[in-house]
Amino acid sequence: MEITTTGLNAITSPHLHVWDWRVSLYLFLGGLSAGLAIMTSILHVRKGGSLAEGERAAISAPIYVPVILSIGMIFIFLDLERKLNVFWFYLTVQPLSPMSWGSWGLLVFYPVSIMYALAMFPEQKRHLLKFRQLQELSELLSRYKLKLAALNFAMGIFIGVYTGVLLSSFVARPLWNSAILPVLFLTSAMSAGAAFMIIISNQKKVKLYFTKVDIWLVLAEMVLLPLFFYGQYTSSGANRESIMPFFTFSHDYFLYGIGMLLLLVILPIALVMKYLEVKEDHGEDLTASELMKMNVSALMVLAGGMIIRFTFVYAGQLSHLS
Amino acid sequence: MPKYAMVIDERRCVGCMACVVACKKENEVPPEQFRTRVVEKVEGKFPTLRMELRSELCNHCDNPPCVYNCPTGASYKNKENGMVLLKKYRCVGCKSCVAACPYDARYINEEKGFADKCTFCEHRVKEGNQPACVATCIGKSRIFGDLDDPKSVVSVALRDNHSEVLLASTGTRPRVYYIRKFGKPE
Amino acid sequence: MSFEFSRRSFLKTSGLLSAGIVASSLLPDKFLLWAEEQGMIKGRYTPTFCEICFWKCGAIAKVVDGRVMKLEGNPVHPGARGKLCARGNGGTGLLYDPNRLKTPLISTGARGEGKYRKATWDEALSLVADKLTAIKQKYGPEAVAIFTHGTPTDHFLPLLSAYGSPNVGMPSFAQCRGPRDVGLELTFGEGIGSPERLDMVNSKVVVLFGSHLGENMHNSQVQDFAEAVGRGAKFIVIDPRFSTAAGKAHTWLPIKPATDMALMLAWINFLLSEGLYDKEYVAAYANGLEELTAAVKEYTPEWASKETDIPVYQIVETARLLGKNAPAVCIHPGRHTTWYGDDVQRTRCMGILMALLGSWGREGGTFMATKASFPKGAAKPFPEPSKAPLNLGTFPFAGAEGVTQAIRSSTISGAPYPIKGWFVSGTNLLKAIPNQKETLEAIKNLDLLVAVDVMPFDTVMMADVILPECSYLERYDALAVGKGKSLTVSLRQPVIEPLYESKPGWWIAKELAKRLGLGEYFPWNSYEDKIKGQCALWGIDYEELKKVGTITIPNTATPFITPTNPPEFKTASGKIELYSKELKEKGFDPVPRYTKHQQPAKGEFRLIYGRSAVHTFSRTTNNPELHELYPENEVWLNTEKAREMGFSNGDYVTLKNQDGAVSNRIKVKVTERIREDCVYMVHGFGTTSKELKNAFRKGADDQGLITRYAVDPICGGTGMRVNFVRLEKEKNNA
Ligand SMILES: Nc1nc2c(c(=O)[nH]1)N[C@H]1C(S)=C(S)[C@@H](COP(=O)(O)OP(=O)(O)OC[C@H]3O[C@@H](n4cnc5c(=O)[nH]c(N)nc54)[C@H](O)[C@@H]3O)O[C@H]1N2
Ligand SMILES: Nc1nc2c(c(=O)[nH]1)N[C@H]1C(S)=C(S)[C@@H](COP(=O)(O)OP(=O)(O)OC[C@H]3O[C@@H](n4cnc5c(=O)[nH]c(N)nc54)[C@H](O)[C@@H]3O)O[C@H]1N2
Ligand code: SF4
Ligand code: SF4
Ligand code: SF4
Ligand code: SF4
Ligand code: SF4
Ligand SMILES: [Mo]
Repeated sequence: MEITTTGLNAITSPHLHVWDWRVSLYLFLGGLSAGLAIMTSILHVRKGGSLAEGERAAISAPIYVPVILSIGMIFIFLDLERKLNVFWFYLTVQPLSPMSWGSWGLLVFYPVSIMYALAMFPEQKRHLLKFRQLQELSELLSRYKLKLAALNFAMGIFIGVYTGVLLSSFVARPLWNSAILPVLFLTSAMSAGAAFMIIISNQKKVKLYFTKVDIWLVLAEMVLLPLFFYGQYTSSGANRESIMPFFTFSHDYFLYGIGMLLLLVILPIALVMKYLEVKEDHGEDLTASELMKMNVSALMVLAGGMIIRFTFVYAGQLSHLS
Repeated sequence: MPKYAMVIDERRCVGCMACVVACKKENEVPPEQFRTRVVEKVEGKFPTLRMELRSELCNHCDNPPCVYNCPTGASYKNKENGMVLLKKYRCVGCKSCVAACPYDARYINEEKGFADKCTFCEHRVKEGNQPACVATCIGKSRIFGDLDDPKSVVSVALRDNHSEVLLASTGTRPRVYYIRKFGKPE
Repeated sequence: MSFEFSRRSFLKTSGLLSAGIVASSLLPDKFLLWAEEQGMIKGRYTPTFCEICFWKCGAIAKVVDGRVMKLEGNPVHPGARGKLCARGNGGTGLLYDPNRLKTPLISTGARGEGKYRKATWDEALSLVADKLTAIKQKYGPEAVAIFTHGTPTDHFLPLLSAYGSPNVGMPSFAQCRGPRDVGLELTFGEGIGSPERLDMVNSKVVVLFGSHLGENMHNSQVQDFAEAVGRGAKFIVIDPRFSTAAGKAHTWLPIKPATDMALMLAWINFLLSEGLYDKEYVAAYANGLEELTAAVKEYTPEWASKETDIPVYQIVETARLLGKNAPAVCIHPGRHTTWYGDDVQRTRCMGILMALLGSWGREGGTFMATKASFPKGAAKPFPEPSKAPLNLGTFPFAGAEGVTQAIRSSTISGAPYPIKGWFVSGTNLLKAIPNQKETLEAIKNLDLLVAVDVMPFDTVMMADVILPECSYLERYDALAVGKGKSLTVSLRQPVIEPLYESKPGWWIAKELAKRLGLGEYFPWNSYEDKIKGQCALWGIDYEELKKVGTITIPNTATPFITPTNPPEFKTASGKIELYSKELKEKGFDPVPRYTKHQQPAKGEFRLIYGRSAVHTFSRTTNNPELHELYPENEVWLNTEKAREMGFSNGDYVTLKNQDGAVSNRIKVKVTERIREDCVYMVHGFGTTSKELKNAFRKGADDQGLITRYAVDPICGGTGMRVNFVRLEKEKNNA
């Protein structure tokens, strides 16, 4: 068959390329901040809050959440072609548009995460807050710790899911158009959050706790990924086509194949490392090499999350219905 | 209220691209960007060949994913005439609609940044004119009119011929119909 | 495709920094958008007619704020019927082409070096006038020849005639319609006209030899084509290539190139021997049936099948289809008919078929031109040249448009007398006439080469003086009189003032005439005055014409033969000449006879060429609106051959012809749509003019490979499909 088309737009032909590294990074950072939000709630609530005691991350993690989110938001903002119109996001609610939900959701997420950070600010250190009003606010909010934690957790889940729904809502892009995608993205967001927590925490018990959490999450990710591909493969022709970039090592798709290989290597290794970390007998303090191993495995999980976002954003745009 | 639709009679398309250029001039579409295109498809082996010439544009879907995915309400389905249109001043250029359209009918206006596409030449239709591509269509392959009016050219064409829509299975319910072969509706 | 970081996006990103500036500059833009949506911006509409090709469609220009926004077809113009083709729609691309000629230019280097300095009009015109006067004094006025095409002709041909030279050459004859017009004149006493008087809309069967309608994009003719297809008329398309028209056909006959006459003669023979012809019509109007019958006896379908590669059954079936549907059969006589050097005879075959089917002057066949005409005004008669014209060459049936290459030969040889000046307007000779070497050699011999043009195309860049004409949207030109079914008149008027320092052709001609002491031949002040005078004489309301663009004179149509409207054949015998005494007298075959043409050797392909629907020859290749649709041509190569030779779709190759001429690099289009013995490309590409930023060295120039041409001895037409090429992998793209 010979097809010649006159009048094609470069951004849709030979395939869609409207979203690039900016959106990928946004989805990753958005997911990371969501995952971290979930993990901080866990940190503060689990074991009656004893985990958080004396833990540096108990203060810093809630602060990281809005900061990372803000960095992510800068990238999505950079991607907008008419930046001066952003206010329109907030003059309307579009019930069918995940992006509309997302932008409102983020609007709620911000104050929640900031209030949460304030609420969790330990009493002894309140003097570090520059303004008196902030100190008062922190004190006031600390009374609602549990409620805020629940809210923060819920918002984290919401944003984590949202980053996947954003893509999965496009019937036109078969790779994305899967109900597994939001779950996969949420899981990967949470495991990234846990990994980040491992890196920023200073106490052995916390690190080991989140390592255990992460083992389950990475495992879940490793189940979800093949499930996703299996689902696509057994679906319609276009869906089946859509995963080809990951499994053909042809010139055009080389990077996707590499991405897939990396995931195949990174996640299991991280998993094994984490398993060993948990099994190992640790002394009172973690040794430098133990610390390093933990950080490396955590970084691997983060990298995995990044690879998933990048390859899915790009490969999804290669897939089409016709 | 009129229910506007376009019928494209592929048998009559001569692949002249008059529609492509007329559309660009009418709607000040920037260089290298297009609201409509012409697909030329040839199947078979020499000397038994078959050619299909098909012009494509926004389908003004009754179930438009581009509208559903627009976060700002810039893209909307005009309730009165059924056209899928854009409030340019609202568009943030997030490109969701571009990604959402299964027909690759949209582009980002290179000069102004908003997501643009065929408007069925609403401004012309309002004044009682044919869309620019229809007006200049050399083969009278493109015809335009009101589906609610049983005497309109589109109603007659759809009644007298078998027609199809593109990617029917996506459930977008296009308002651009294609007549491919000679023959009555099935 | 991989992770790509588009440059554009990066630029946009960094543009964020200047958001403040953007904010302020967006305001008026927003206002305009809003105003437009509110319908507050309204255009001014001016009718004129198109000059992107020679169909001269009525166009209406929409002007907003002094800028031509859009062109639309004029509904009352018979060639447009409210529609313009892609090229006509893209006319503003010529108007606003940044590479347009903007000021007069005088060469400061050697000819062809492309070095110019800007000059004032006065300086440039005086220089041209001085040189023309010098040539006249030294060699006589006949030593200046004019090459022209399109409406500039209406201004510069009179100038040359007034100056005293009979030597005009238009590529529209010897490189285009010449053989067809002569062939039909010899048969019916008149040509088919332009626009061709074909009643395709009412045909039951239409035959296209070549004639790649759809790609050959003559507006109303293609409208008729689509109408006929839509109505279910059966098309028989004879073409070595699966053209757009072939894609619509009932029968596509992928004929071996250069053998069309075999098929036609076999059809004639078959129709005669089966008695499938319109006996009444032939008896009433035609001469020479017996001679014809005898002469075509040998041309059996079996014989033709071997010549043409078309199966016997298809030859027979199609012949029956013709016979059964007569007279509503339209045999398109073609337009570009300078193919193989025996083209008058090939057209004669088509004429004979039309006569046998009784389709000339009949519904579904051809229709007759209006008999009405406008009165001729009084004008000062031109001086009688003292030397015989040499633009007819040695061809007994050469037409008044002249044989371009005959002038070229004389310019090279100086015989029968020298040609020392060329005046070139509206034609790109290097692209239009075969064998560029000869053209360049002739140009070397000149004392003066003047070009009047809108764009710096190849030939223009050889000129000593370049005079920038404004585009058709900025000027008055001669009234276009249409002699189709009815008598029509159309006005070309400026829709905006000329841009830059460009000037209308009439002004240039008049100013030159003034400087040559020929002012009295241009006795009006402005061209509008001249047109007004003509309208007064013709009884046409000028103000009305200005408003509507085209006026059709009522009750002037007498299209078909009826008992009260008998046909008139202005041949020697007053009848349709199946057998041509005229040809016989000049030593040619009175009934067409088949001649075998050379076929390509192994490894070679015959080079054939044609049109792209979105371009006109070379002239639109730089037009931004059209360039973006088809920026460079491709060489079509049969899939099987491509596989054998190891070429993939999109590979760049160079073509080398039998004489060693090598083309610019060109993309291969690997396709099932062409025979194995030929390659095809769209004419007009591969310009060598650096001034053309879009078109420079894009694609390959077919003319550069047409070093050989077969001259039709009857009319001088140059058969240009007689070259063979080989494909070579592109060595480097330097
Ligand atoms: N878009 C556009 N349209 C135009 C023009 C333009 O520049 N652009 N120019 C106009 C002008 S002035 C002219 S003269 C016409 C020219 O257009 P036509 O009169 O249609 O030209 P042809 O040479 O008949 O047609 C070219 C076709 O002939 C086929 N062909 C080549 N060799 C042979 C052969 O041996 N036998 C047969 N049967 N077919 C063969 C080719 O494959 C090709 O499809 O187009 C007019 N229309
Ligand atoms: N190899 C090959 N040769 C061919 C053909 C082919 O198909 N292949 N086709 C043949 C045919 S059918 C024809 S009709 C001829 C056509 O031959 P030409 O008419 O010479 O065609 P173009 O190459 O378009 O050159 C047109 C020139 O006129 C200029 N021009 C355009 N508009 C205007 C204007 O308004 N005013 C002035 N002053 N200049 C203007 C353009 O800028 C350009 O320089 O070529 C013939 N030669
Ligand atoms: S064709 Fe695409 S852009 Fe047009 S309405 Fe349908 S989904 Fe929207
Ligand atoms: S690009 Fe504009 S129209 Fe498209 S979805 Fe975003 S805001 Fe809506
Ligand atoms: S209807 Fe108007 S906007 Fe749509 S393709 Fe046709 S000309 Fe373009
Ligand atoms: S203008 Fe009409 S005939 Fe020409 S390409 Fe477009 S749809 Fe086809
Ligand atoms: S056929 Fe096209 S290019 Fe030629 S005059 Fe008509 S509109 Fe212009
Ligand atoms: Mo021509």
